[in-house]
Amino acid sequence: MMQNKISFHQSSVSLEIIGLPDYSNNENKDQISIISQWKLIIIDKPLIEGKIEHLGPIMDAFYIYSNLLIKNEIPIYESKLINIKADNLHIHNIVLKSSKPNVNPLIFKIGNSLLSDIINCFDQLSESSKVRIKKTGLFNKMPKKVRFGLNNKVKFFDLIMPPFIAICSLILCSYAFIYFYNTVEDKEKNELINPK
Amino acid sequence: MLITYTRTITVLTKRNHVSRRSIERLDFLLLILETIDLNGIQSIHAISNKLNLNNVLPNKVTIWKLRNNNPLRKSYRNNNIKLNEFDALIKITVEMSKYLYPYIRNILQSKEELTKNSVIWNDFNNRLIELIKERFNLDSIRVRKLLNQTENDEIIIKSLLILSFCISNQGYQKLKNLIFDF
Repeated sequence: MMQNKISFHQSSVSLEIIGLPDYSNNENKDQISIISQWKLIIIDKPLIEGKIEHLGPIMDAFYIYSNLLIKNEIPIYESKLINIKADNLHIHNIVLKSSKPNVNPLIFKIGNSLLSDIINCFDQLSESSKVRIKKTGLFNKMPKKVRFGLNNKVKFFDLIMPPFIAICSLILCSYAFIYFYNTVEDKEKNELINPK
Repeated sequence: MLITYTRTITVLTKRNHVSRRSIERLDFLLLILETIDLNGIQSIHAISNKLNLNNVLPNKVTIWKLRNNNPLRKSYRNNNIKLNEFDALIKITVEMSKYLYPYIRNILQSKEELTKNSVIWNDFNNRLIELIKERFNLDSIRVRKLLNQTENDEIIIKSLLILSFCISNQGYQKLKNLIFDF
């Protein structure tokens, strides 16, 4: 059976997705739902290719790393499959580890221009209606701080804590005033006013 | 306690109004796009028309007034920019980044190999500094940091990266998240 091939291009980077439509779901013949292979072609760099189970983690790695890079955090990402680390502000060191035994890791460097090309190719893939890929749960894997920012929601703890602390401090202050109130002095004053 | 309380107020106000830091970031991104596009102000207005944002941004003066909410500007005015106005400016930034992506990419690339293409980076940096001097309040320490060529690299590179990461169809949402999230 002939496999479909869909390519996404951005300047020096191309992403090729090879696979078949899911006919059991009555899908169009030019669609891809069952990905058998993918290739990330970067000009002047080694070819990166793999199976569907590698595509999600590699996309996640690039997305998380690019987020860290622009958010003034330490840009470093490490996993079983890929390590990305910044050499400096402009160059990024990539280590791709093969899942096959006795295969040396693939090491190469990319600049900011290639990094943005790669991110844009992945964006095109994510937004494509012709290729169906499972959501990789990128947002769940992100550090808490990043996740909070992306959702832009109010933290429950932040919402509850200020009024709670305010009420506690009010109670504490009230208790302090109870101790200042001296009942003996009050009795003496009463006796002076009413000598009987 | 005070920090937690202040943070809560900041987060809550984000829902209805735009924080000063957010408008500061967005205005700087627009300034970078204006540095690349010599006819930037005209392009911003043309894109606003193209995106049918005339009801929010009817003319160049409105855009200028909204951008003056940036506290770093010489002509800073606190006009309490509304969320829909801020959203319109984000949409324009994303659309303009799409058109200017090849140039943004070239500038980023020129910094990677400074010995080969330093002309592109130097031209861009000099023009950006000129625009900052023209429009921003030079008494501000943060503006002085932007003007310092040894210190401003990181800020400029990160801003260029933000613009280059937000050119997809989902770019608007991406940029909005990034601007509110720093």
